[in-house]
Amino acid sequence: MSTEQPQPSAAAPTIAVDVRNVRKVYSRDSQRIVVLDGIDLQVPEGEFLALMGPSGSGKTTLLNLIAGIDQPTSGHVIVAGTDVGSLSEGALARWRSRNVGFIFQFYNLIPVLTALENVELPLLLTSLSRRQRRERARLALTIVGLADRAKHYPRQLSGGQEQRVAIARAIVTDPAVLVADEPTGDLDAKSAEEILSLMTTLNQEFGKTIVMVTHDPRASHHAHTQRHLDKGVLAS
Amino acid sequence: MKYLPYILKHLRKNWIRTSTTVLGMAVCIFLFCTLQTLLAAIDFSLQSASAQRLWTRHAVSLVFPLPLSYKSRIASVPGVRNVANATWFQGQYIDRRNFFANFAVDAEEYLQIYPELLVPPDDRAAFLADRRGALVGRALADKFGWKVGDAVQLTSDIPPYQIGRPFDFVIRGIYDADRVKNPGADVSSFFFHYEYLYEATNRRTQAGNYVIEIDDPNRAADVGQAVDALFANSDAETKTETEGAFVAGFISLAGNLSLLLNAIGLAVTFTILLVTANTMSMAVRERRKEVAVLKTLGFPGSLVLGLVLGEAFMLGLAGGGLGLVLGSLSISALQSAPMLGSVLTFYPNLGLTTRVAALGMALAVVLALMAGFVPAMLAYRSKVTEMLRQI
Repeated sequence: MSTEQPQPSAAAPTIAVDVRNVRKVYSRDSQRIVVLDGIDLQVPEGEFLALMGPSGSGKTTLLNLIAGIDQPTSGHVIVAGTDVGSLSEGALARWRSRNVGFIFQFYNLIPVLTALENVELPLLLTSLSRRQRRERARLALTIVGLADRAKHYPRQLSGGQEQRVAIARAIVTDPAVLVADEPTGDLDAKSAEEILSLMTTLNQEFGKTIVMVTHDPRASHHAHTQRHLDKGVLAS
Repeated sequence: MKYLPYILKHLRKNWIRTSTTVLGMAVCIFLFCTLQTLLAAIDFSLQSASAQRLWTRHAVSLVFPLPLSYKSRIASVPGVRNVANATWFQGQYIDRRNFFANFAVDAEEYLQIYPELLVPPDDRAAFLADRRGALVGRALADKFGWKVGDAVQLTSDIPPYQIGRPFDFVIRGIYDADRVKNPGADVSSFFFHYEYLYEATNRRTQAGNYVIEIDDPNRAADVGQAVDALFANSDAETKTETEGAFVAGFISLAGNLSLLLNAIGLAVTFTILLVTANTMSMAVRERRKEVAVLKTLGFPGSLVLGLVLGEAFMLGLAGGGLGLVLGSLSISALQSAPMLGSVLTFYPNLGLTTRVAALGMALAVVLALMAGFVPAMLAYRSKVTEMLRQI
């Protein structure tokens, strides 16, 4: 995992996420629902972007496109130099495992696995040995401040701790981009603040590019940039 | 292998469901192995029958006797080398639970027709010389602890053979069989002289069957027809068939055993398939969130499919293994069970064979994989975004 701070550069910043004229249309029965309509969005490397907007505005859909778990109807989503729409399902899965860390609103830890095993899960897709996987997972847990809870199961952790484990799972493969869908939506104010501080640390100290969907104005204040979506269109 | 702990942890999570599924699968494999072992043993016995021997019985049914005069007439048929009366006695030793095969035979001819019954010359001579002498198979002698010289009493529950007192016998010989040359040879029967039965019943009895040795096995059908033709249109018409067909007919007195056993096995197997499929579907349905998470983390659909099938495979392996243990134990237990155990001594090679065990294990794994296939495919095809929306 890289611990170097990103250096300011006089040159134009590298774009980590480049969304170009993206449309996303869902078909339900005979209805066509336009969820995203001509979205253009550039997120420079090392950026902490908050995507805001009312329910149904298309925030999560846009986040899913950036994370590579959905594909646009038209347009291009280029993340870490790869046009996500050009990849097959299998290639997209492989790409996701290396380039994107996903943080869910409800943590989504695997209940039968310990914190350490949950964090180790994405590393099963790599060629690392068991020992190397365990070392990396422990390091990720240390970064999120939960090294002492490695053997705890999700049911033995508080909501905030669960989300920190989920963040450790998201960063364990050292991805370029972290996407977070309402990461504080299920937490009390104190835990939410801790999570946001952790994400700020990941952004500032580890140089992670973060795209976060949130309804919470307090959460958005931790981001460098805020963009608002409304009815599938970027408003600001 | 690195996914094995993940699979096992999931199986352990719902241990009651896993245990009951494994147990259900085990019962299925246990039944399959037990039934197949019985069928294999019966089949083996049929295959071990000599093509050079024919059995003649009453054309209507085995239970009707044949006149004693038939023996000499059968012996006159061209191609017949030897004939012996072999009458089922149905004698019981002490009580009904001690069931074993016992025949009243024309001893000298019978031993000539069955050279695979190995009797020490002295014992043979002693048996032939003593009208109340009996010749018993090694397995039977071992079972009851009999030795040469022991007195044994048998009582038959066939009315013509009931004389108001038990039949007294003295064991004059214990026969073995060459297990290499004749692996299916019976060593659990009890033979005695027909003359003794005939005299003891005041010469009221007839012959149950005649066993015939022929010169040429290729002419078995012709000889059989010639024998039956001799007695056509008589009061006691005969049916002559090869030893294998006769034994098969004897077994079929219990109905179409093979069909019955296979039908039971199939019904149980199908039921377990449905139960396991239901269990696997429930397991996957409960873990839709998890499948979505795995796919989001970058697990390809094929790997998710593999993990679900892996769980099914482990269930099959555990169920199959337990089923084999239960099957093996039950086959051993059956052999020492009252009544049934004595019947099973007809099949000297009764035991869980490698072939049946492998078939049972394969069946368990295939059943489990079939049961896991649909839920695995659903997990494989599921769209991450749709599943995440349902969380």
